[in-house]
Amino acid sequence: MRRPLALIRALALAAAISAGGGSVAAAETDSVMRPVLSQYMIEAGSAHPCDTYLTPLHYSGWQGALAYERMQAMRFDPERWVMALGGRLSLGRALNPARNAAMWSIAFNPHWTMLWRHRLPAGFTVGAGGRVEALAGALYLARNGNNPVAARGSLTIGAAALAAWNGRIGPLRLTLAYRPSMPLTGIFFAPDYDELYYEIWLGNHRGLVHGAWPGNYFRLDNLVTADLHFGATTLRLGYRCGIFSQRASGIVSREVAHSLVVGICTEWLSLRADRARTPDARIISPLYQ
Amino acid sequence: MKTLRILIASVLLAAATASCHHIDEWDDDAAGNFDALWSIIDRHYCFLDEKGVDWDSVYSAYRPRVDSVRGPVELFDLCSDMLAELRDGHVNLTSPFATSYYKKWWSDYPQNYDARLVEEYYLHFGGYSRGGFDYAVLPDSIAYVRYASFSVPASDTTLDWMLMLLRRCRGMVLDIRDNGGGSMTSVETIVRRFIDRRICAGYISHKSGPGRDDFSEPYAYYYDPAPAGRPVWERPVVLLVNRSTFSAANNFASIMSQLPGVTLVGDTTGGGCGMPFGSEIPCGWAVRFSASPVYDAEHRLTEFGVAPDHHVDLDPAAALTGHDTILDYALALLAAAPAD
Repeated sequence: MRRPLALIRALALAAAISAGGGSVAAAETDSVMRPVLSQYMIEAGSAHPCDTYLTPLHYSGWQGALAYERMQAMRFDPERWVMALGGRLSLGRALNPARNAAMWSIAFNPHWTMLWRHRLPAGFTVGAGGRVEALAGALYLARNGNNPVAARGSLTIGAAALAAWNGRIGPLRLTLAYRPSMPLTGIFFAPDYDELYYEIWLGNHRGLVHGAWPGNYFRLDNLVTADLHFGATTLRLGYRCGIFSQRASGIVSREVAHSLVVGICTEWLSLRADRARTPDARIISPLYQ
Repeated sequence: MKTLRILIASVLLAAATASCHHIDEWDDDAAGNFDALWSIIDRHYCFLDEKGVDWDSVYSAYRPRVDSVRGPVELFDLCSDMLAELRDGHVNLTSPFATSYYKKWWSDYPQNYDARLVEEYYLHFGGYSRGGFDYAVLPDSIAYVRYASFSVPASDTTLDWMLMLLRRCRGMVLDIRDNGGGSMTSVETIVRRFIDRRICAGYISHKSGPGRDDFSEPYAYYYDPAPAGRPVWERPVVLLVNRSTFSAANNFASIMSQLPGVTLVGDTTGGGCGMPFGSEIPCGWAVRFSASPVYDAEHRLTEFGVAPDHHVDLDPAAALTGHDTILDYALALLAAAPAD
């Protein structure tokens, strides 16, 4: 019981710090330095969307994405708590089984994550926490005259986890990480079974917002990465698997996507000239050791 | 540790429940494609009851013939025949070589429109044409406006100019014969020029589930007059309609018919008040069907057309002498109307 309460307290404190900027700056000492880990990723792979509002057929094609994430150890307990703020913009195109119709997809997915982490021996780290995220996107199937678009939108809170290993393979410093996340509750958008967006545009907004739980809104994002440290710059190679399945008003929307991930990660510190730094200041990275 | 166990259990539970989001799949063979098409109509088509179509019986009648189908053309013909049972001009099956099209909603009736007749003997190949509208001033200071298709978006700029140029006319003939429909937003754009207060244009509903009786509560939708400063028409209007006045044009006729000062002349419109949805079957053929019924302001379904106030047919013999008897009737009505 204590741990969930601590998690809630930490989330509330982190939110207050995020909103209040430097309001707790006086509590910081320069004996601890918390670099920001900036991660820039390009993703490319396959996607398999299906949305019964548009078609009962399963489409297959490609998907590309740009993603950015900023991670930093938290000021109030940098050894234990890590915050991540990021976003992902994806674009995809898929064909029906007969390969005579194309479905485009676009999505933007910002998130804010708080992780409680625990360092284990031999370079291992595990963590778990909460995540708030939004999703805004659409599928577009040009061949449908009055129902060419299926919009996707959600605002959810859920669980996030981290398993990482920092070590060496020969001379190369390496960080392996697995970071799954999954919404647990929230709200999402779905029109009624055969409701045209024209009817929504006319003003009928009844029943468009649905409460989400994993039984009707399931999304599991798995990101596996290998960060290869070459001096100050880190090359990221990875794999992302996204599983999405939503059911509301008799409409099922599904997508499974597999992507290779290539990225650059850098850690940076913002220093304040008006404050002295102790020579033995500890640097606490949000992911690396 | 307990939290971790709960988290893992939640993930497993969620994964198990999510896998229940079932989507039907069909084989890409003759039987699979036929069954997919039948199922799509079964779950989404909105006028089975109104048309008295027993869709299960249709399946029983047509499904056995699938076994003898040889090749895509025969499958297409069989599927087209099945769809024709719906008697709906909004139902089409589109393959790479053909699109099925039910025509009897207009082919069994007189056409009642001859474009050349109007152009040659009434407009004398003159008048103005812009943005989908052809218009001119006829004798006795009566405006003639033809709008051939709601697929050409009606622009406010064109309407501004047209109504300004016709402002001295005592009445208007608005000709939407052979107008096969198009965009509902154009319906609103035009109707707004003929009203001076907010009106209930009608009701829209939709299938709310795959069951045959699953429909949403009809939702009333309203049109407001054009913004102040825009030209509007406040004098008598005769709206010319025929069996080929279909879909959005049918909807336009049903809305205009409720306005004071508007008289419908010609033949009953072709109907088509179901907003069409699109889908597809495994072989990639597209299917279009009515899924969202639109009712008029009196809650009446106009799928079977809007009856005119004055039923008038075009007399072929008179047409040979340069007379469109429907248009002549409209002109006579307007000429007899009191001038304001």
